[in-house]
Amino acid sequence: MDFSYLETLLEEELGPVEEVGEGYRNVWVLAEAAEGRLAPHTLEVMGKARELADSLGVYLYAVLLGHGVSGLAQGLVAYGADKVLVVDAPALEPYQPEVFCHALATLVEEKRPEILLLSASDLGNDLAPRLAQRLRTGLLSHCLDLAVDMAERLLIGTGPAMGGRYFELYVCPEARPQIATVEPGQFRIPYEDPYRSGELEAVDLPLEGVAGRLTWEEVDAPFAPPPEPLSKARVIVAGGRGMGDAESFRLLGALAEALGGQVAGSRGAVDEGWIDEARQVGVANPPVAPRLYLACGISGSVFHCFGMQDTEFLVAINADPEAPIFKVANVGVVGDAKAIVRELLALARGEG
Amino acid sequence: MRIVVAVKQILNPAGVVVNLRREMIFVNREEYILGPADKCALEVALQWKEAAGAEVVAVSLGPARADDALREALAMGADAAYHLHDPAFDQADIAVAARALAAATRRLEPVDLVLVGDRSDDTGAGQVGPRLAEALGLPQVTGAYQVRPADGAAEVVRRWQGRFARVWVPLPAVVAVAAGAVKPRYPHGARIMNAYRQWQVARWSAADLGLTEEDLRPLAVYRGQAFPPAPEVGEMVRGEPAEAARELWNILKSQKLV
Repeated sequence: MDFSYLETLLEEELGPVEEVGEGYRNVWVLAEAAEGRLAPHTLEVMGKARELADSLGVYLYAVLLGHGVSGLAQGLVAYGADKVLVVDAPALEPYQPEVFCHALATLVEEKRPEILLLSASDLGNDLAPRLAQRLRTGLLSHCLDLAVDMAERLLIGTGPAMGGRYFELYVCPEARPQIATVEPGQFRIPYEDPYRSGELEAVDLPLEGVAGRLTWEEVDAPFAPPPEPLSKARVIVAGGRGMGDAESFRLLGALAEALGGQVAGSRGAVDEGWIDEARQVGVANPPVAPRLYLACGISGSVFHCFGMQDTEFLVAINADPEAPIFKVANVGVVGDAKAIVRELLALARGEG
Repeated sequence: MRIVVAVKQILNPAGVVVNLRREMIFVNREEYILGPADKCALEVALQWKEAAGAEVVAVSLGPARADDALREALAMGADAAYHLHDPAFDQADIAVAARALAAATRRLEPVDLVLVGDRSDDTGAGQVGPRLAEALGLPQVTGAYQVRPADGAAEVVRRWQGRFARVWVPLPAVVAVAAGAVKPRYPHGARIMNAYRQWQVARWSAADLGLTEEDLRPLAVYRGQAFPPAPEVGEMVRGEPAEAARELWNILKSQKLV
């Protein structure tokens, strides 16, 4: 008798044989070295990746690419890796996008991780999109948070939208590995456990076939982004007459610098000659919309408040508890603005 | 010498207001602009053209309104403009866009330099440059602040791990220019008129670019939106300066503001 129809029937009942993600297991992190040590942003990613690996019930691999970096592998175990893959080759120094992409793609195709995380550092931002295109998979970039949908083992990435005004969640259901870059400064560096044990594997990759085409030269200048207009600043430290004198007002400039923001002033500060008119917040200039606005010694006239009404988080420091600015502030501090700014500056410098 | 500049039209984020407490997004002013980083990339191309001579071609993938962005590019000084427009692109994610732009670049061969904006203001994914470089098999440099012609290569000053670095990349290559790297020029009034009256923007569909259904399948899928926690209002801090400053600092840290 002919039973071939049975096979057809069975196939229909079982559905497609291979699912997306079949054969892909484990969470990987690309580790970066900086000045002979593991980069802090890599350690932040390690902490989050350990959480993801634990909730998925899989191993955490760290991948270390570079030249003369083998000594750092044990450190990755201390920060949570179960296994460290080390590719130590002269071709991996200095950074060449094509060589790094080739090395990482070869490892991924051979060992098939389900999730690969990189830091959204200059290196990660340069490498991750190229790798995703090579592997024909999606990339969740600049993630501020990561989670896992356990039902489908999907990585959910929360990234900034519209210049960070809100977040958008993305997933990549139909391709593996799921790649994401993690914005530095979002996660805590996990505790170092020097007694943790893990496996180290030196991988020998043939890298002769691809040649890096970039020529590098160090420039002895720390990176300083071009000045942005006040209306685009993320942090603004503003002062008014309540700062007392020009010398105290200069503290605000230092505080703004320590917080990575810009300094501004109210009408009063401009009239006193402590700050340029272009940096006045009010109706005379384009409105500002920072994430954090520190109003120091500003009473908060209607015009001033109009100029900064799109601020996300407003902190007011003023000696007068009846000052109108306290009615709109998210946090109000009653006290001498001069002294409090001086203390804040010490705190900001201490942690920066 | 031909330079292709990939530009994108975006919704101006300045017109978008988010109410954190109600978790709603309001578009107060629907204004579409040429992305600031893309504009810088175009300016870099035009400066290269003035210094060493080049033909600058602007390419944009987008809906019908992206035509305006390309005419703005023509007004600024681009020599030709191509609009990649097809209903099949409506669902395109960045990988699809990169493949379409790569196909367009191949049709424009010989191309010596491809310039893109490093990160757009709307999604800010910063993926197009490296993805395009991979699709074309070209070397790439991202985070560029200066791009100069240098004898068959481009000399680029780039941001690199908290410092600046100088990189030479042989042409052809893909370079992603950072927003704010240069000051984009204002187009001359007569050029704006010509951009709409005289000059043409060519349209290419998915079929013109030879893209298959597989090429057009998006991989990144939207899963909803989220909002940062709404800050609490009206909290008052009192006390000695040192204590008050410490308490304020802790609040700022808990809100991830510092």
